Amino acid sequence: MEKKPTALLVLDIVSLILLAASTYFALVFAPTEAVMGAVQRVFYFHVATAWVGMLGFIAAGVSGIVYLRTQNTKWDIIEFAAVEISLVFFFIAILLGSIWARPIWNTWWTWDPRLTTAAVTELIYIAYFMLRQGLEDPDRRARFGAVYTLVGAVSVPITFMAIRLFRTIHPVVIGNGDPNASGGFSMSGDMKVAFFFALFAFTVIFIDLFWNRIRLGRLQEKVEQLKLNISQ
Amino acid sequence: MFFLQDPPPDTSGYMIAGYIIAFFVMGIYVASLIIRWRNLNQDQQLLEELETERHKK
Amino acid sequence: MTLQTSTTRQPIQSNFGKAVWAVVQKDLSAELRSRELLSAMLVFSLLVILIFNFALELDIQTRRSVTAGVLWATFAFAGTLGLNRSMAIEKDRGCLDGLLLTPVDRSAIYFGKVISNFAFMLIVEAFILPIYSVLYAINLFQPGLLLVILLGSIGYTAVGTLLSAMSVQTRTRDVMLPILLFPVVIPILIAAVKASGGYLTGAEFSEIAPWLNLLVVYDVIFTSLAFMVFDYVVEE
Repeated sequence: MEKKPTALLVLDIVSLILLAASTYFALVFAPTEAVMGAVQRVFYFHVATAWVGMLGFIAAGVSGIVYLRTQNTKWDIIEFAAVEISLVFFFIAILLGSIWARPIWNTWWTWDPRLTTAAVTELIYIAYFMLRQGLEDPDRRARFGAVYTLVGAVSVPITFMAIRLFRTIHPVVIGNGDPNASGGFSMSGDMKVAFFFALFAFTVIFIDLFWNRIRLGRLQEKVEQLKLNISQ
Repeated sequence: MFFLQDPPPDTSGYMIAGYIIAFFVMGIYVASLIIRWRNLNQDQQLLEELETERHKK
Repeated sequence: MTLQTSTTRQPIQSNFGKAVWAVVQKDLSAELRSRELLSAMLVFSLLVILIFNFALELDIQTRRSVTAGVLWATFAFAGTLGLNRSMAIEKDRGCLDGLLLTPVDRSAIYFGKVISNFAFMLIVEAFILPIYSVLYAINLFQPGLLLVILLGSIGYTAVGTLLSAMSVQTRTRDVMLPILLFPVVIPILIAAVKASGGYLTGAEFSEIAPWLNLLVVYDVIFTSLAFMVFDYVVEE
């Protein structure tokens, strides 16, 4: 049984503390926004989780390329971990975006380019997992996973630009809200503190989860190897 | 007219829902990591025992 | 000019071109004889159009605004059918393995398949357009629209061929391709529908241009990307 490296233990604790602190900053320290009220506070975690999703997205794309070039399975483990984390955090970001939209625009969904692109990315991630599940050979699983990650990584930014272009030409009227409102509000100094602290805290949380998940992936690889040895 | 501004609307219900959901999903994910880690550790121990028994024979 | 025999020292390009052409010829002539792919795609497209007709019971005015969307939804679904069958035939008859044994660059196989898949898609589209025109009393034979169909189909088959090479090797086979393909092909669908709609409603070229741009960019990027990674998808 492998013992958890001290650095990782420390990181776990630090992440928890930062999460708590960020919650405090968002819920207590930051002032209440004048037009939207308390629900605006959701914004801090909404952006921060979307940011983590983005970090995972980029990490997955890069790992995919590196795996294809080096054929070293450790990059496949890293890629899988990145996709999984990105999936979870984009999911939270989408839910928070929906909750934020509801009282403000009287709708559960806005076809906002960022939100929609996040949803498309989630579908690509799900397809990624289904692809891997449908393959027996671990080498093929890793190769195809990397290829699809690459295809997805290239297509998502293009999707974002396409939807944005679509929206600038056709602003969508949503519910009773002002069609041109993008939920914008100007941030006061204290709000900016909460905002940037959330980004910082969640970046650390990302690194912590990423490291933990990669460790899990390595253990999984070890166990699979042991299973193969036994069956021979 | 400044002092006649309405107070911000009470959307705290949504805020609470949002934070609960965020923590809930993160919590579930961390829990899944822990559970998967424990399961794999058990598997590893079991397989290593089987391996050593096989070598004894 | 040399007098060497044809079995020695041929320039690499002509080998590549020959391989591509060989793949295309194989697919086209096989299809010409059996016609199973094209008839399946065609019948399926007609059924889809029929379903849309009942699903979107519309007056003439509204119909014009959804024509572009209905057309591209039809092409997307029929296209998936074609891509699936095309790769499945390769795998089932062992053609893929045979092709892989030849000492030619893997990307030649890729380009060959893309060209034949593209050809099949165009043929089906060529049948659908007049039928749709008649059923909906809209003239679809406008050069602008034809250009959009061309560009959209190129991107669709470029990505689709790559992904179908992967999906055909999974357990769930046919079901896997649309799951993989549709999220990734969204930019084509958005751009193609907007551009087609623009041409059909007689919009200004400046409004349509950005969408055509997007289609071209997508086509170039993904054809190159697929060309570069196809090796990884077919190696044993």
